[in-house]
Amino acid sequence: MNVIQAILTGALIGGLYALMATGLSVIWGVLRIINLAHFGLILIGAYLTFQVATSWHLDPILTLVISVPAMFVAGAAIQWLFDRLRLTEFNSLLVSFGLLIIIIQVTSNIWTADFQRMSADVNPYATLSVAVGRLVFPVTTLVAFGLAALVVLGAHLVLRRTFAGRAMRAIAQDRAVAGAFGVDHRRLSVLLGGVVGATAALAGMVFALSNALTPETAFEWFGTVFAVVILGGIGEVVGTFAAGVLVGVLSGVVSAVWSPATAPFVLFSAIILALLVRPQGLFAVGGAR
Amino acid sequence: MIRRGGAGLLAAFLVLAAVGAFSDQLGLPSFYLILLGSICFWIAQATSWNILSGYSGYFSFGQAAYVGVGAYTTAVLTGRHGVDFFLTVPLAALLCGLLALGVGAVAFRLGSLRGEIFALLTLAVPFILAAFARINASIDGGQGNTVPIPEAADSFGSPQQFQYLLALAVAAVAVAVAYGIQHGRTGSALAAIRDAEDVAEVLGVATFRYKMLAMLISGVLGGVAGSVFALQIGFVTVESVFNLTIPLFVIVMAVLGGRTHWLGPVIGAVLIVTLQDRLSTYGLDAWNSIILGAVLAVLVAFSPDGLYARLRARPLIALGTLVVVTGVLGVLNVWGETLDWLVAGMLAASLLAIVLGSRRTTAAPRAEADEPAVEDEPEVVVSEPGERVAVEPGKVLIECRQVARYFGGVHALEDVTLDIREGELVGLVGPNGSGKTTLVNLLSGAFRPTRGELRVDGRDITRLAPHQIAHVGMARTYQIPRPFDSMTVRDNVAMAIMFGREPLPLRQARPIAERHLATVALDHLADAYPASLNLHQRQLLEMARAIASSPKVLLLDEALAGLNPAEVDNAVRVVRRIHESGITIVIVEHLLRVLNQLATRLVVLDRGSCLADGDPRTVLNDPDVIRVYLGRQAHV
Repeated sequence: MNVIQAILTGALIGGLYALMATGLSVIWGVLRIINLAHFGLILIGAYLTFQVATSWHLDPILTLVISVPAMFVAGAAIQWLFDRLRLTEFNSLLVSFGLLIIIIQVTSNIWTADFQRMSADVNPYATLSVAVGRLVFPVTTLVAFGLAALVVLGAHLVLRRTFAGRAMRAIAQDRAVAGAFGVDHRRLSVLLGGVVGATAALAGMVFALSNALTPETAFEWFGTVFAVVILGGIGEVVGTFAAGVLVGVLSGVVSAVWSPATAPFVLFSAIILALLVRPQGLFAVGGAR
Repeated sequence: MIRRGGAGLLAAFLVLAAVGAFSDQLGLPSFYLILLGSICFWIAQATSWNILSGYSGYFSFGQAAYVGVGAYTTAVLTGRHGVDFFLTVPLAALLCGLLALGVGAVAFRLGSLRGEIFALLTLAVPFILAAFARINASIDGGQGNTVPIPEAADSFGSPQQFQYLLALAVAAVAVAVAYGIQHGRTGSALAAIRDAEDVAEVLGVATFRYKMLAMLISGVLGGVAGSVFALQIGFVTVESVFNLTIPLFVIVMAVLGGRTHWLGPVIGAVLIVTLQDRLSTYGLDAWNSIILGAVLAVLVAFSPDGLYARLRARPLIALGTLVVVTGVLGVLNVWGETLDWLVAGMLAASLLAIVLGSRRTTAAPRAEADEPAVEDEPEVVVSEPGERVAVEPGKVLIECRQVARYFGGVHALEDVTLDIREGELVGLVGPNGSGKTTLVNLLSGAFRPTRGELRVDGRDITRLAPHQIAHVGMARTYQIPRPFDSMTVRDNVAMAIMFGREPLPLRQARPIAERHLATVALDHLADAYPASLNLHQRQLLEMARAIASSPKVLLLDEALAGLNPAEVDNAVRVVRRIHESGITIVIVEHLLRVLNQLATRLVVLDRGSCLADGDPRTVLNDPDVIRVYLGRQAHV
C-alpha cells in the first residue's frame, strides 16, 4: 500500500518537475539557448505569489493574474537580450548562469535568505487533501499535475497545429533556412520567451503553495529539472511530461522503500544510464528538434 | 621565452614567500596575510579549473565538489578523529583524484557528450555529495567541524603566516603545473581537443586519455587546495564548502583573466578577490554576487578571450595606468587606504586594456596573414618529380571484407569487399548517398562497421579507436576543412607530427612541418592563423596536416569541392606530388574529368554496394555506371 501511495504521490509531484522543465526544454530545443535564468523566473514567480497573497490576502491561485504577465514580460526581455547578443548555445549557459546568480542575490536582498511560507489563513490549499479509499492526495500536487498536463497539452497543440508552432519547429530544425522562407525568428523567439516566462510563473505559484521559499531553492531544482529535460528529450514537450512523472515516481519509490538520502543517487545513476543507452532522451521521437 | 616565464614564476614565489615569512619585520598586518592566503586559494582553484576547462574547453560546473571533498576530508579527520593535518592532505588529493576519474570515466564515455551536457553533469556532482554529507550526519557529526591548527605551525611563526605560506605553496604548485602543461605535449593535445576534438583524435591524439589526465590533475589540485582551505576558514560546514558560488567564482576568474593561458586565472583571481574584499569592507556584501554575475554575463558576451590577451597587447599602457591611478590616489590620500587605491588602479588598467585592446587584438595576429589571403591566383605548384619512394607493387594495404554499416533502417553500406594495394591512387565515386563518405568514416574509425572486417597493412582496425588507426598509418582530410583555429598554420601541421606515428616534441616538429607545407605550397603562410586562409588554402592545409603524420594511406574526402578551375588544377598537382612521395591515396570526388587523369583505378559505389571497379577508362564506359550517373534515358 505504501508503495502504491508513493508511486501515485511521486507521479503527481512529477507534474511540478515537468512544469518547471517544459519551458527550459522548449527554449533549448527551439532556440538553442540553455536558459538557467528560467530557474530565476520560477523563483521570482514563487515569491510574487507569496508576497501578493500575504499582503493583499488574495487567493494564491489568483495571484497568477499578477505574476503571469510580469513573468511574461521578464521572459520576453531575457529572450530579446539573448537574441541581441547572438550567443552560442554554450555561451548562453554562462550568461544565463550570471543572470541567475544576479536574480538569486536580488531576491535574497528583497525577501532575505530565510525560509518564508504563506501562512495557513491565506493559503487554504496547503492542508487540503483528497482521499480515495486509503490513498491520500494533497491538493497542491493535484494542482501541479493538472497545470502541468494543461501546459504540456497546450504546448503540444500549439507546436503541432498552429502556424506559429510550425514556424518554431522550422526554426528548431534550421534557423537560417526558416529565415529564408520568411519566418521572423526575432519576433517568434521573444514571444516564445514570454510564454515560457509565463509557465515559470505557474511553476513558481505551484511551488509556493506547498513549500517554504528561500532563494537557494533555485539551485536545488537544477539537478532534477535538468534530469527531466534530458530524459524527456530536448525540445520534446510530451517527453518532458512523461520524464517528469517517471522521475517523480522513481524518487518517490526510492524514498519510500529505502530512504530519502538515496533518492539523488538512484536518480542520477538512472540519468547517466539513460544517457548511455538512449542519448537523445528516453521519450524523444524526433519532434521539435 | 619558456625559461623566462619559469624564472619569473619562481622569483614571484620566493618574493611572496619572503613577504609571508618576514611579515612581522615588515610590519604587515595579519589582515593582509589572510587576504593573500585567500587570493592564493582562489588562484589554486581557478588554475585547477582552468587545466581541465580552459585548456580542453569542457566547462565544469563542479569545482565545489573538489573544494568540498578536500575540505571535508581534512576537517573530519583532524577535527573528529585527531589525524595529523599533513596526513589528510594526500588523502584529500587521492579522494578528489578518484572522484575526478570516476566522473570523467562516465562523462567522457557518453557517445553524445557535448559541452552543455558535461557542464550539467558536473553541476550535479557537488549537489549529490552535499546532499549525502547533509543527510549522513555520522560523517561530520551534523554540526560542522572545527579544524585545529597543526603543531608544526609554530615553526612558521603565527597561524596566519602558516596558513598563508601553505596556501602560497599550493598555488605555486598549481600554477607551475598549469605552466608545464601549457608548454608541453599535453597542452598541445588539450588545445587541439578544444579546437576540434574529433580531428585531433583522427590525427593520432589519444583524446580520451588526455581528457582524463586533465580531469585527474584538476581534481588533485582542487582537492589539495580544498584541504588547505579547511585550515584557512577554520570551521567547515556543508554550506561553506559545497557552495554553488565556488564554480561561479572560478569560472568568472578564468573567463575574466583568459582561459587559454596559465596566467589568466591568476590575473582573474587577484582582481576578483581584492574587489570582493573591498566590497565587504564597505558593507556591500549584498552586491557581491550581483557584480560577479554581471561581470560574467558581460564578459562572455563582449570579451570572451579575457584580460590576459588584452593586457599583453598593451602592457605599458596598463602598467602605466595602474601606477598613475594608484599613485595619484595615494599622493592625494583620498578614497580610503592603500588597498583601495591598488584596486582602483587595477580596475582602471583592466578597463582601459579591454576598451583599447579590443581593436588591436582582433586585427594583430592576422595583419601579416591578410595579404596572401586575398590573392586570387593560387600558388602554382611546379610539377617536379618528387622523391619517388620504391613501392613494392601488389602488397595489399586496405582490406574491406563484407563491410556493412546501417544507420537505423538506412543501409549506408552493404557487403562492400574491396582491396587497395600499395601505391595505388584510387578514385571513389558514386552519386550522393551512395556511401562514399561512410566508407571513409569507417576506415578512419569515426564509425564502426555494423558487420564485416577492415584491415590496414595486415592489422585488424575494426575495433580500434581513431587515434590507434592513425598510428597504424591512416590519415584523412575533411570535406569541410577543420583546422585548429587557435594555432598557426605551422603548428597545425606540427600537431600531426607530434602525435603521429613517430612522435616528436614541438620544437623538432616545426621545421618538418614547414617541409610538408612546402609540399602543398603553403609555406609562405606558416605564421598565419587558419581564419585568414581561403577555402583552397584550407584544403591544402588539411592535406599538409594529413601527410605530416607520415601515413601509409591518405583518404581525401572531396578535397576539390568548391574550388575554381585554376585551384582544382593546383590541388591535382599537389595530390599527384603526395602520391609520388609514396603514399597510397583514396580520393572521393565528383569531378570525373579530374579522376580520369589522376586515378590509377576507379571504384564506383551505388546505394551502398560496389558497382564497378577497375581502370578509369573501362569503368567510365561501363553502361551501369553511365546509367547510375546520367539516368537510364540518357543511355538509351
